[in-house]
Amino acid sequence: MYCTNTVSFKPASKTTSMSIQPYTEDQNDALQEVVNIAMGQAGDSLARILGHFVGLSVPRIRLVTVEDVIKTVTDMVDENAEISAVRQAFSNALRGEAIVAFAQAGADDLADLMGYDTDLDQSAEQELLLEVSNLLVGAVINGISDTLKTDLSFSAPSLMAQRTPLDQVLVPEQLSWSHALLMEVNFTVEDRDFHCHLLMFMTEGAIDTLRDILDEFMDSI
Amino acid sequence: MPASNATASLLNFIVDRAHMGIFVVNQKREILLWNQFMEIHSERKADTVIGQNLFEAFPELPKKWLDRKIENIFILKNFSFTSWEQRPYLFKFAHNRPVTGGVDCMRQDCTLMPIKDSCGEVQYVCFTLFDVTDTSIYQSKLEETTEKLRELSNRDGLTQLFNRRYVEEALGKEFNRARRYHSKLSVILTDIDFFKKVNDVHGHLAGDEVLREISRRLASGLRGTDTLGRYGGEEFLVVLPETDTQGAYVLAERLRKTVQAKPIEIEGASLIINISLGITELRESTAAYAQLIAEADLALYQSKENGRNCVTLFQPGF
Amino acid sequence: MAVSVTVVDDSKISRKMVIRALPPQWNIELTQAENGEEALAAYRDGKAEVMFLDLTMPVMDGYQVLEQLQKEQLNTFVVVVSADIQPEAQARVKKLGAMAFIKKPVKTLDIQNVLHEYGIV
Repeated sequence: MYCTNTVSFKPASKTTSMSIQPYTEDQNDALQEVVNIAMGQAGDSLARILGHFVGLSVPRIRLVTVEDVIKTVTDMVDENAEISAVRQAFSNALRGEAIVAFAQAGADDLADLMGYDTDLDQSAEQELLLEVSNLLVGAVINGISDTLKTDLSFSAPSLMAQRTPLDQVLVPEQLSWSHALLMEVNFTVEDRDFHCHLLMFMTEGAIDTLRDILDEFMDSI
Repeated sequence: MPASNATASLLNFIVDRAHMGIFVVNQKREILLWNQFMEIHSERKADTVIGQNLFEAFPELPKKWLDRKIENIFILKNFSFTSWEQRPYLFKFAHNRPVTGGVDCMRQDCTLMPIKDSCGEVQYVCFTLFDVTDTSIYQSKLEETTEKLRELSNRDGLTQLFNRRYVEEALGKEFNRARRYHSKLSVILTDIDFFKKVNDVHGHLAGDEVLREISRRLASGLRGTDTLGRYGGEEFLVVLPETDTQGAYVLAERLRKTVQAKPIEIEGASLIINISLGITELRESTAAYAQLIAEADLALYQSKENGRNCVTLFQPGF
Repeated sequence: MAVSVTVVDDSKISRKMVIRALPPQWNIELTQAENGEEALAAYRDGKAEVMFLDLTMPVMDGYQVLEQLQKEQLNTFVVVVSADIQPEAQARVKKLGAMAFIKKPVKTLDIQNVLHEYGIV
């Protein structure tokens, strides 16, 4: 059973290990597994609509501070690259936000992969990005809620940025949280330019709720 | 949640009368439910469309796209959305602002919801369709206004060039971009020679006219990617992305010649006006964009020292 | 006689989910391994007539285990258990000699079907 020791948020870890400070080792293990499953389902959904094998990085779960969130993200997305980004909120048992960042170089490729004309006008390109984002976020949210037997819903996708340098998409001054749990994964398509990065943020309240949900999940197995 | 008879009829009533479009299709795209909102706006009664294929009943729908979207819901078992911002409408419905609207038809946001059976397989797709015409009108008005305000707040009232704040901001952005991509960036600072004399001899109105005319001549000599702004009284700043000092020098010489090419006619007087220019470029050691302005200013000072009507490149040690 | 079964996964909860889904009447001798090296060691100790194998693991991953088994022509019944459920991922591991593929989260029914299909239980 979960014991009520207090958990303090330590500053971002000095190593790149996958340690998540707010949780016990078992909770981390369970969370990593749930996220692996959910991300795997997202990858499968993407593969189905693209008709190509989708490569997934091992999902990374970390507690990040607002100061190092960009640095954190740039580990997987090239800092200098222009990206387009879509956000979606999720709510119900857990609240948070998901962001899908698309490397710009791959956006034209995406149209091609999905069988559209590659010469898309701006709103057609936006629609495509929203569609793919919704597919990934929906699959991850459904994967998490199915595995953890908890109710999650998600909002319609909206465009955060189109062809914008990464450091202008996430501006620390505009973020109102100090710590967040970040779950992230990279999707690539072999031999193609397309790649995108899925980020799921949960802030303080949800981090605590998730702890209880993970305990229930572990008890059920 | 099993509904009692009373609840079921209540739910039926709500679905039918809700102020949003609600309809349901099965995997064959046959319409199974069509609420009152859909009846009114499509001008098709439920009993005339139920059982019909959605795309046969409404051939004007974007079939290729929508059919795929519906199919994806059966495959992926996932909610899906459409927004008026990318696709203004699904059904071409009249809106209720025919007079004050300024848009041709109802703007719509749509949610496509999978309805699953007990095995988790998707049986139906439920569409909810929201009239967001008002929102879209407010938003486009807001965007128009914002755009106008932005334009106004960026301009210098007298010359209609960009103002100092804007051109400095533009320089800041180009500075960051050039740093990021290791690209070139040059700056020209220029000042009208003996402008005080124009004001003193011909009056301030004439001085204003000279400023306007010189602004036009400077603007005519630039490339599309350059940003020109009025930096001070009779000082102008030009930001030149992807340009080294050689390129900037050629451009500066062209500006100098364009300005003095023809006399400016003012209240009977015909004035030949010259400008002095200072140039600098981004180097590894440049600490901030403000340093570029300071260096261009030093080079400009040197041009004045050298007798005016000339161009000087900044050199470390000025 | 008991069948030797090794469950290979770096995640404790994931091993637990597999073990829980095994048919209760199945007479087995169970070993757990946290990575590919431990899995191969278990095999060499005669503890892995049947192996439930995860793909993503530190030290030595599931693909490497399959390659090694193939290279040494080792004979064990490998069921891959993976979160990467794309048809192509399934095809890839089968090419490497895996007998079956089960999606995470593991369901009792999926394991039963595989074991029945090959007459193991």
